[in-house]
Amino acid sequence: MAPPKRYGGKYEGKSKKRKKDDDDAWTYEEDDTNETEGAAVPGAAGRNAENNDQTAQEDEFGAKDYRNQMILKTDNTSRPLWVAPNGHIFLESFSPVYKHAHDFLIAISEPVCRPEFIHEYKLTAYSLYAAVSVGLQTHDIIEYLKRLSKTSVPEGIQEFIKLCTLSYGKVKLVLKHNKYFVESLHPDVLQKLLKDPVIQECRLRRNIENEGEEEFITQVQEKKNLPSFGTKPGTSSEPAENTTVPDDITNFYDKIDNEEEEEETSLKTVSFEVNQEKIEIIQKRCIELEYPLLAEYDFRNDTVNPDINIDLKPSAVLRPYQEKSLRKMFGNGRARSGVIVLPCGAGKSLVGVTACCTVRKRALVLCNSGVSVEQWKQQFKMWSTADDSMICRFTSEAKDKPMGCGILVTTYSMITHTQKRSWEAEQTMKWLQEQEWGIMVLDEVHTIPAKMFRRVLTIVQSHCKLGLTATLLREDDKIADLNFLIGPKLYEANWLELQKRGFIARVQCAEVWCPMTPEFYREYLICKTSKRLLLYVMNPNKFRATQYLIRYHERRGDKTIVFSDNVFALKHYAIKMNKPYIYGPTSQGERIQILQNFKFNPKVNTIFVSKVADTSFDLPEANVLIQISSQGGSRRQEAQRLGRILRAKKGAIAEEYNAFFYTLVSQDTMEMHYSRKRQRFLVNQGYSYKVITKLAGMDEESDLLYKTRDEQGQLLQQVLAASDIDCEDEKIPGEGGIRAMINRRVGGIGSLSGADDTVYYEYKKNAASSTANKHPLFKKFRY
Amino acid sequence: MVNVMKGILVKCDPAMKQFLLHLDETLKLGRKFIIQDLDDSHLFISSDILESLQTKIDDLMDQISFPMNEKDK
Repeated sequence: MAPPKRYGGKYEGKSKKRKKDDDDAWTYEEDDTNETEGAAVPGAAGRNAENNDQTAQEDEFGAKDYRNQMILKTDNTSRPLWVAPNGHIFLESFSPVYKHAHDFLIAISEPVCRPEFIHEYKLTAYSLYAAVSVGLQTHDIIEYLKRLSKTSVPEGIQEFIKLCTLSYGKVKLVLKHNKYFVESLHPDVLQKLLKDPVIQECRLRRNIENEGEEEFITQVQEKKNLPSFGTKPGTSSEPAENTTVPDDITNFYDKIDNEEEEEETSLKTVSFEVNQEKIEIIQKRCIELEYPLLAEYDFRNDTVNPDINIDLKPSAVLRPYQEKSLRKMFGNGRARSGVIVLPCGAGKSLVGVTACCTVRKRALVLCNSGVSVEQWKQQFKMWSTADDSMICRFTSEAKDKPMGCGILVTTYSMITHTQKRSWEAEQTMKWLQEQEWGIMVLDEVHTIPAKMFRRVLTIVQSHCKLGLTATLLREDDKIADLNFLIGPKLYEANWLELQKRGFIARVQCAEVWCPMTPEFYREYLICKTSKRLLLYVMNPNKFRATQYLIRYHERRGDKTIVFSDNVFALKHYAIKMNKPYIYGPTSQGERIQILQNFKFNPKVNTIFVSKVADTSFDLPEANVLIQISSQGGSRRQEAQRLGRILRAKKGAIAEEYNAFFYTLVSQDTMEMHYSRKRQRFLVNQGYSYKVITKLAGMDEESDLLYKTRDEQGQLLQQVLAASDIDCEDEKIPGEGGIRAMINRRVGGIGSLSGADDTVYYEYKKNAASSTANKHPLFKKFRY
Repeated sequence: MVNVMKGILVKCDPAMKQFLLHLDETLKLGRKFIIQDLDDSHLFISSDILESLQTKIDDLMDQISFPMNEKDK
């Protein structure tokens, strides 16, 4: 292997500059409204069913009366749905046909809220786009909705579905035999497209003689076998259906279910070939014409790109939901691009690995940190027959020889890095750009800004893209863009259901209210802005609660992770309690050492981590999580953190709960507000938070720290003496603004030239402070 | 001479007492209203301020709570 040192050094040296660049890009991303994006989204996407119900009467509580629009059916008790005129759908999860309805609704709509008994879904233009792209037809959607609904389906909704689906999914961009074809089941649609001069130009005619005639390549597709994913677990036949299910529902369900799989069984399709250089143009033009092209990759007929020899190991068994998500992706024997949403710890990596093994072409895996690059490599080795020679890592630390390897694992920042690279990295990049990648797997796809993603797309040529994420959610509503940058959401799992079936841990979420001590609250009221944060994080009562919880769980033999976004608090807590901690500046070696100890050393049961551990830190042992400070009202962070303890535990069913998630909140402060805000996502997934106002048994612990007012007073002094930088949350490179780096100092102009008796000396800037500035987006939440 | 003032006894947790003291000191309600600081959890305040004090405390509570059922937009 090549000596990694040289590059590593260089990379680090440039990192400050690079960081600045990143930051620029990021802030830009947050602030502008993305006019460019607007152009790439079809007009129908802007439609919204939300306002369809203006005419409905409202009662004094804001409830709407839909009775005149929805007529109750006589056999309503055996049907599970209500479809409201504003596009919201309510599903009874205790209905005997729940399973059918659930699968169907996942395909056509977005889950809004899924608690135990009634689930709420919403029809949106995006979700319908996704539905069409997995092969559902307009009339099928409406027909099935009608059958499942307890009432008649409102006219407005039928209209909406028609509007959003009629033009979608009619034309596909297919790559086969290394030629691009625009394919459609409907000759008239193609005729219409070809009337457009721009598209005409893009068309590639093989034989000139036939010009003038609008002739399509007609072909009859024969039945294609579904790719099978490894060894299928013997799917037990479904339990006998309850007889109360109306026949039409089951029949139709079977029909739709089959259709998904054999959708293109001997169907007549027409297509014309497209000039490869003009792909971009035609894609854009088709979106303008409201016929967005669905990209499909016929990887079996791809003869130019060599197959890589990789298969799933027989030991790799897919869980039912993993298989289902992959079926959506490879539904008709071709690979579609899209996003698969699975909770953390539910085996996203296996889905990624399986997708690569199915396509069997060169694969590129992108993730967001060096640690997760290593983890992906491990996953590939664990689940597939790929060995070291086939998997190549491309990061600043580890660079394997990429030439000729089948799977390349790298990070987003490595690819989009714009500064000068070492010669070696330059070569790798060149090679990377020349390749035609069969599949590109994008890990934690929600984290990347659209702009960075664009850059990746311009650099890497890949035939199909698979996005993986746990939380398709951003505080800045940019998530919709992913639909058109990668593809529609193919599958989204239900957290509670996976929990019930033991695939992920059962988590008890708790919010612990810690009263502020009078002294701290007094200071809190007096001081302004950033100091406040430190005051409520350092609240002695919170400290004591943390200490108590750690002790309690250590006695039970649990493994605990404590999260704190604030570095000052992190260090203080960890040092006082004598526990190891990891934050931004902690070196890779030290991190690994701490993590290893946490995994295997029975004496190390608790570690403190900052937000570097939010994503992609695989800590399968941990089952207790204590959150002492967090990043404003970020729902995503909350979900990601929960994900750290979601991995299914051994002996899972023994107890009612086998994982605990505590959030410590200082009472009467803004923290309460943030805490509520953060919980929204998980509450919508069906989790409930238990509020604990008093930890039972805490008074019996006599040796908790900060018991006396004296000690508390000393702590208060320390907090007040802390600098402004200490008050801010930790900054992760590539995530924050540059503003915090600028310091304003009061001084005369003379002192700049050394007129004062200043002694100049060189010093290294405190590593913590350079990472301490904060994302501008989240600054808004603090006043 | 004996001065008679009408007042109300307020019982609250120590943190809330700090909030009241803070309001009193910074004249947020226009004037001082605490007659006597009794102990950690008891205050004696003038009775005519009660209404504006209640709205002030409601404001504080509104500030730190977040409506759960609010739409995402």
